[in-house]
Amino acid sequence: MDISAFVLFWAAIFTSNILLTNFLGMCSYLSVSREIESSFGLGVAVIFVLTVTSALNWLVYHYILLPFDIVYLQYIVFIIVIAAFVQFLELLIERYAPALYYTLGIFLPLITVNCAIFGVSLFMIIRNYNFLQSIAFGAGSGIGWLLAILLLAGIRRKLKEKMVPQGLRGAGISLIITGIMAMGFIGFSGIVQIQ
Amino acid sequence: MINKILSDIALMSAIGSVLALIMVIAQRWLSNYGEVKVNINGKRELTVKGGNSLLNTLSDQQIFIPSACGGRGSCGACKCKVESGGGPLLPTERPLLSKEEISGNIRLACQVKVKSDIAIEIPESIFNIRRFNSVVEEIIDYTYDIKGITFKLTDGQSIDFKAGQYVQLESQPYEKIKNKVVRAYSISSKPEYKDRIQLIIRQVPDGICSTWVHKHLKVGDKVNFTGPYGDFYLRDTDADILFVAGGSGKAPIKAILEHLKEVGTTRKMTYFFGARSLRDLYLTEDMQALEKVFDQFEYVPVLSHPVAEEHWEGKTGFVMPYFKDAIRDPKHTEAYLCGSPGMISAVTKALKEYGLDEDKIYYDSFG
Amino acid sequence: MAWMKTKSITTVLGDIMKKTPSEKKIQAKMQPGIITYGGFLGTDKRSYLQIIADDEKSLEALGKTAEELADRLEYFQQVSFDSFEAQAVVDDKWEVETEVVRGYLPCPFMHQGMYRKSYTTVKNLQSQKSFTFSSLNIHLIRVHHFFEGRNSHFRLDPAEIVKELF
Repeated sequence: MDISAFVLFWAAIFTSNILLTNFLGMCSYLSVSREIESSFGLGVAVIFVLTVTSALNWLVYHYILLPFDIVYLQYIVFIIVIAAFVQFLELLIERYAPALYYTLGIFLPLITVNCAIFGVSLFMIIRNYNFLQSIAFGAGSGIGWLLAILLLAGIRRKLKEKMVPQGLRGAGISLIITGIMAMGFIGFSGIVQIQ
Repeated sequence: MINKILSDIALMSAIGSVLALIMVIAQRWLSNYGEVKVNINGKRELTVKGGNSLLNTLSDQQIFIPSACGGRGSCGACKCKVESGGGPLLPTERPLLSKEEISGNIRLACQVKVKSDIAIEIPESIFNIRRFNSVVEEIIDYTYDIKGITFKLTDGQSIDFKAGQYVQLESQPYEKIKNKVVRAYSISSKPEYKDRIQLIIRQVPDGICSTWVHKHLKVGDKVNFTGPYGDFYLRDTDADILFVAGGSGKAPIKAILEHLKEVGTTRKMTYFFGARSLRDLYLTEDMQALEKVFDQFEYVPVLSHPVAEEHWEGKTGFVMPYFKDAIRDPKHTEAYLCGSPGMISAVTKALKEYGLDEDKIYYDSFG
Repeated sequence: MAWMKTKSITTVLGDIMKKTPSEKKIQAKMQPGIITYGGFLGTDKRSYLQIIADDEKSLEALGKTAEELADRLEYFQQVSFDSFEAQAVVDDKWEVETEVVRGYLPCPFMHQGMYRKSYTTVKNLQSQKSFTFSSLNIHLIRVHHFFEGRNSHFRLDPAEIVKELF
């Protein structure tokens, strides 16, 4: 792919937002967006994990999976790498930044099962990104995810006092809002295509 | 074909094992803090394994900093001075510490993790707090909702305390309750008994520990507790004494009176026991017997809502109006109060109006 | 299988799976034997979030806020403290008394703060209905809009409070 890493970075945030365009990472997005503070904490952790795991998985794919011809095992291997990294990150933060651990820490295990993480790794393989492009894509996707969850958290905070029909409360109205936001983000799509 | 499958499986396992190995090494290296030194009050130095909270590290060394919430960071009872080595102030500590405390290096022992050499300062009295194993020796039903339980220390242990102090009892799992809780109760027996203590325990609505004590505890059961805690005890002067306590607040007063019976005293003492009705009175005969033992001791039960059928002929209403007759020289009188904050503030107000010095009014407040 | 009539499988799974870690911890703290003997949920099968949502709906229908109810309960508690926790009659309609025991209870909602174990009982002299609540209950209602689950020891039903204590 011939797009510069810089352009990929911005595209991943706006025109190809991992959550609003590709609808990945919905689970924790829907449940954690109940509180703005937790959303911010989780979003920051996701950015970090996405950036590093994209890099790690790219290296594993090109230096282990390809040479040894076990590309078909990429699903399992990517997930294992993500889980291991998240665990490692938790230990690191607990040791060197205990204050950060207490504010962020609970959300790290939650990230392992975020399908956006896995999705980004798969996308970079399918679209054949090089190393720099992968990192840019990972970081941008993370920021895009943070943006989406903060937007939803803000809207849900405003919705708290409003009358939402009983059947739509919770996941129902959140998905409708997400759909409307996605339509809004389609407005960015003319700027650059990366898929 | 089969070769490829086997080699791929081997490769997969290799990748998994490498990652697992990296994780184990990371865990060992990152979570292992090795041995660290804890310097206490500039005098004692302990060498301990790092990685735990200061509260747990010290309790493993048989030094018990008080904690009401079990180390969850909710109560602030475990405040202590950390001179160095405590790391940065954690967001979980901030809400419970004042600005002066923070600048004075006061931290919450249950939140501070011991990761490197650390120097702390704790009051000397904490060294006297120990963990005790005991068995239930006797259970007495004092009233419909109050029991007196005697715990005999096992393994030749002995406890050293001042009459008026309390212990923290550990309840055991029972029925659907799977965990233990820790609750504070005043010691109601005299300190001269070094191998046993008595606690007076009242059934609390929906209470975990009191329900365990009232419905499940039997003679012979094993029970653990830590103590002694508290700075409520009799001051050694010759001033007159007013005791005011009702319900389970009688416990520390009973301990003090039994201790005085042992050592002897000529001080003038009056004990006002406030209760609702006749069925809330207990140990009345024991108190009346003490009136005969001491030169000048009077036991004054006061009922606020006596039931007509009980034919109560003693004093009624609140205790405060009856203080007047018991006070000889307000400047030479001490008061010892044990009970709810409401009772304590009401009684303190009345005593000050009668002329007592505020710093001669000692209290053990429930809340 | 009665619960299947009122909820679809996805909602039930949603209840179990989609709680954030802190929500799971709060639900766990409300179980019997963790903070209190009976716990905060009684025989209720709903999650605490659902209980709050349903009670908030009742409050809307009654035209009162949770803060107003908490203020009313605190009013009775304060009158009782002023009378040194002995029995007192308020406004000729209610009888209050309070019992305080040693110790504190933490709030199950995962934030700092220990609440005194003071239990106030208010009896409406006309209907003879009694309500008992603790300092923790007042906090739970005011800040978290949480009235406890059905059949819990200290469950306060918003409709009954409005009817009997105002």
